[in-house]
Amino acid sequence: MDRKIKWINLLVVVLLLGSSLAACTGAQTTATEAVPVEGELVEPTLAPTAEQVIEPTLAPEKTSITIVIGEDPPSFNPAIAATGFDALVMELVMLSLADLDEQGVAYPELAIELPTVENGDVVIDEENWTMDVTWKLRQDIQWADGVPVTADDVVFTYDAIVDPEYGFWIAGIDYVDGVEKIDDYTVVVHYNTVYPAYLTQFGGYLVAIWPAHYCDASQGFSQWDCGLNPLSNGPYMLKEWVQNDHMTFERNPNYYEAGKPAIDEVVVRIVPEEAVRKQMLLNGDADLHMWTPENVIAELEGSSNVEVSLSPVDRWVMRIFFNLAAKGTTDPEASPHPILSDVRVRKAIQMAIDVKTISDEFWYGYAKPVWTEFFRPPYNICDVPQPVYDVEGAKALLEEAGWIDQDGDGVRECHDCTTGAEDGYKMEMDFYTYSEYGETLNLTQEYLAEKLGDIGIKLNIQRIEGAVLWDTAEAGGIEQTGNFDMDIWDDGYSGNDPSDYLWSYYYSEAAVPDMGYNYGRYINPTVDELIDASYTLDEAERQDYFCQMASILNEDLPELLLFTTVDANAHSSRLQGVRSNANEIVTWNVADWTLK
Amino acid sequence: MGHYVIRRILQAIPLLLIVSIVLFTLVNLAPGGPLAGRGQSRRLRPEQVAILKRQFGLDQPVYLRYIYWLIGNDWTKIDTDGDGIKDSPGQGKGILRGDFGNSYRTRTPVIESIGNALKNTVYLMSVTLLIVAIIAIPIGVISAVKQYSFFDIVVTTLSFMGQALPEFWLGLILLLVFYVWLKNPLTGESLLPAGGMHTLGVPFSPGDWAKHLVLPVTMGVVGWVTWYSRFLRSSMLDVIHQDYVRTARAKGLTLNKVYFKHALRNALLPLVTVFALDLPYIFAGSLYVEIIFAWPGMGRLYYQAAIDRDYPMLMAILTIGTMMVIISNLLADVVYAKLDPRIHYD
Repeated sequence: MDRKIKWINLLVVVLLLGSSLAACTGAQTTATEAVPVEGELVEPTLAPTAEQVIEPTLAPEKTSITIVIGEDPPSFNPAIAATGFDALVMELVMLSLADLDEQGVAYPELAIELPTVENGDVVIDEENWTMDVTWKLRQDIQWADGVPVTADDVVFTYDAIVDPEYGFWIAGIDYVDGVEKIDDYTVVVHYNTVYPAYLTQFGGYLVAIWPAHYCDASQGFSQWDCGLNPLSNGPYMLKEWVQNDHMTFERNPNYYEAGKPAIDEVVVRIVPEEAVRKQMLLNGDADLHMWTPENVIAELEGSSNVEVSLSPVDRWVMRIFFNLAAKGTTDPEASPHPILSDVRVRKAIQMAIDVKTISDEFWYGYAKPVWTEFFRPPYNICDVPQPVYDVEGAKALLEEAGWIDQDGDGVRECHDCTTGAEDGYKMEMDFYTYSEYGETLNLTQEYLAEKLGDIGIKLNIQRIEGAVLWDTAEAGGIEQTGNFDMDIWDDGYSGNDPSDYLWSYYYSEAAVPDMGYNYGRYINPTVDELIDASYTLDEAERQDYFCQMASILNEDLPELLLFTTVDANAHSSRLQGVRSNANEIVTWNVADWTLK
Repeated sequence: MGHYVIRRILQAIPLLLIVSIVLFTLVNLAPGGPLAGRGQSRRLRPEQVAILKRQFGLDQPVYLRYIYWLIGNDWTKIDTDGDGIKDSPGQGKGILRGDFGNSYRTRTPVIESIGNALKNTVYLMSVTLLIVAIIAIPIGVISAVKQYSFFDIVVTTLSFMGQALPEFWLGLILLLVFYVWLKNPLTGESLLPAGGMHTLGVPFSPGDWAKHLVLPVTMGVVGWVTWYSRFLRSSMLDVIHQDYVRTARAKGLTLNKVYFKHALRNALLPLVTVFALDLPYIFAGSLYVEIIFAWPGMGRLYYQAAIDRDYPMLMAILTIGTMMVIISNLLADVVYAKLDPRIHYD
């Protein structure tokens, strides 16, 4: 090479290389087509086709909608990661035994009817306290390749989940001893206890029934290829998936409900920026904006071409967790929290918080006050009085508890308090939240710290990533190790059965680090008994247990529930039939959607 | 020269090894981990944590994880069924044999995801850099040659404004103007698309692809142009005040010939170094551009992996990034020697 080489030439070569790569990119986007044809199994080949396939069937009347979401779904198997995005696409292509509607009422999908004690499909052995649940499957549902969906698929799915090597854990699976095929369209699930959430055990928005003849069991439930390129038995079929860009689904012509789905094509586009998703909806480039937060709903109000679907039942409750053990410890008996272990302090904090103002100021009025775990149907039957906002009362209660500001610095100190803190101990605590939620929660946290500061409780605001806040105790997770005083974030149970959730948050065994989420270390043997007893199918008994719990939790106040956040999805006015469902994901009823 | 290159490559091997150890330790020991729930599952059950630990190999001490990552674990046995007995053969081949492992998020080989994202990023970044060169070189030359002219003052002012603009803000403003406000008078649609690489569901057309490039490239170009044109301006100023330029002019050459044939070539020399050191950006992409314009590239892939604590993905991108930096440095030195006869390495 002689030294007359021109630098510009070098640059041009580099850039030409770049543009030739660009041409490769053009071909790549059409490369992942796998269109299952009726009657034959199409391998999930990823063979690149060099040229764009122009389908002759692209008739002008083909209808299409675009859903915009923020992240690429990890797979079609939400049981593994449960990001919500995986559930969104799973509901497009997969069916399960039963799902929940927006009121929390279960309805059958693959099953003919729901098994109940009344219709004889649930048989309880009172002596051994076990139960058998018989599921009768519809005989008119096929996989996209024409193979019928049978009992074998249900058994296969169960076996794959419990496989010790590559299986995974789903809620309640420990209560199942086995799944038995009776005939091609009947299976019996044998439970080793009475499990009230049996209806959505193999259903809901997390668990689908997988095709035995298509999925490769040796690859394992948690990482098999059919989780990325599923064989459909639902309303849509995956046609194309370009990672981090978009997914295209087309109507499943073999879908069992006649005439459904009405829309030919569903495109899921990954658009990371919230402001852009909102604007695409307003401009008509998107039809559905999944998980619309309160501030965006407020901005969309009054636009003529957009509607917002709010779930009638809410799931997520913004709540303050109190650490009843001293910061950094995990035993509330041996090392009680110097401030929060006195229930009067917790009550005072509750009295000093004006939920309505928070809702109006930061949540655009969409946050609804909630003060008990039992606020959702069918267990919203307990009589728990709504707390009264009373700053003076809160101050008086703190004085009574021995927290008085004698040195006049605006922060109370312990003077004969009953928590075991030494005299003069400052009422100062670390108040955590996670940073990913964004400005609305940040402002709420700041407001709470300010208001509690006004009554002499000094809160130091801490914001960290969820990956640090919720990590395991072993890896130093803030909550599991008890390295916090108070924290605030949103949580709530999916489905309509609170038992598992209550166990995880209030049961004494769940207070052991990494064994549950009772990292506030709330220990109450009566609550333990009530939770144990709630594992029954007798609704009257359950309601009684839950209401007893509701009043105990209201007395003890281990967690301070503040308000619900919305489960909302904004959609274009032309798209009809969207029903937001806090128990599910918005695409749960996609087969019923129509275009105006 | 050949010896020099070989020596540099040999030197890079221990360097890469050391860097990989540091990166692996940092990534694995940083607060937070892949076993904290995310998205809707903000909680993982203890049973799930136990399974994931096994499946991700997090049940091993960090040093063993590094060895498995480096040379694979197919030569030894691991515990896959949770009975505490190491009785199944491992599957990993290790990066030395080209196996970067599977993503914790998708459970698919990370190298596939990187391949897909890299194509898109290289495409975007090379167009961006081409435009940068086309704009920055003439601007730099003219403002040097006509130092303190009206043009120079305007360009200088604009450059400082361009440098000062927050990239994220610029992207949103571009969207506001060209996607929200301005409409195509013929069709009534937005003048430019909101994002993505092309219109979905229509046959390939260069015009459509170009349309999707305009805003992301503009957003990327602004910062780079200001930086490169300022650099070239000062480099050019250095050169045109040197004796040989005066000699060239004294010989009676035209101004254009002096500036563009004699001066510019020398002024571009230091730029080669700068450009070579910027080469890794072609690999890394720009996170903000990719987020705002929904561009499926490397920046977003890395960001998602960082949020998820997807260790295999993070390590793969960081390792390849390290290699890119080392290679570009070497490239800069080699090209420099080729361009400037005064430089010898041997």
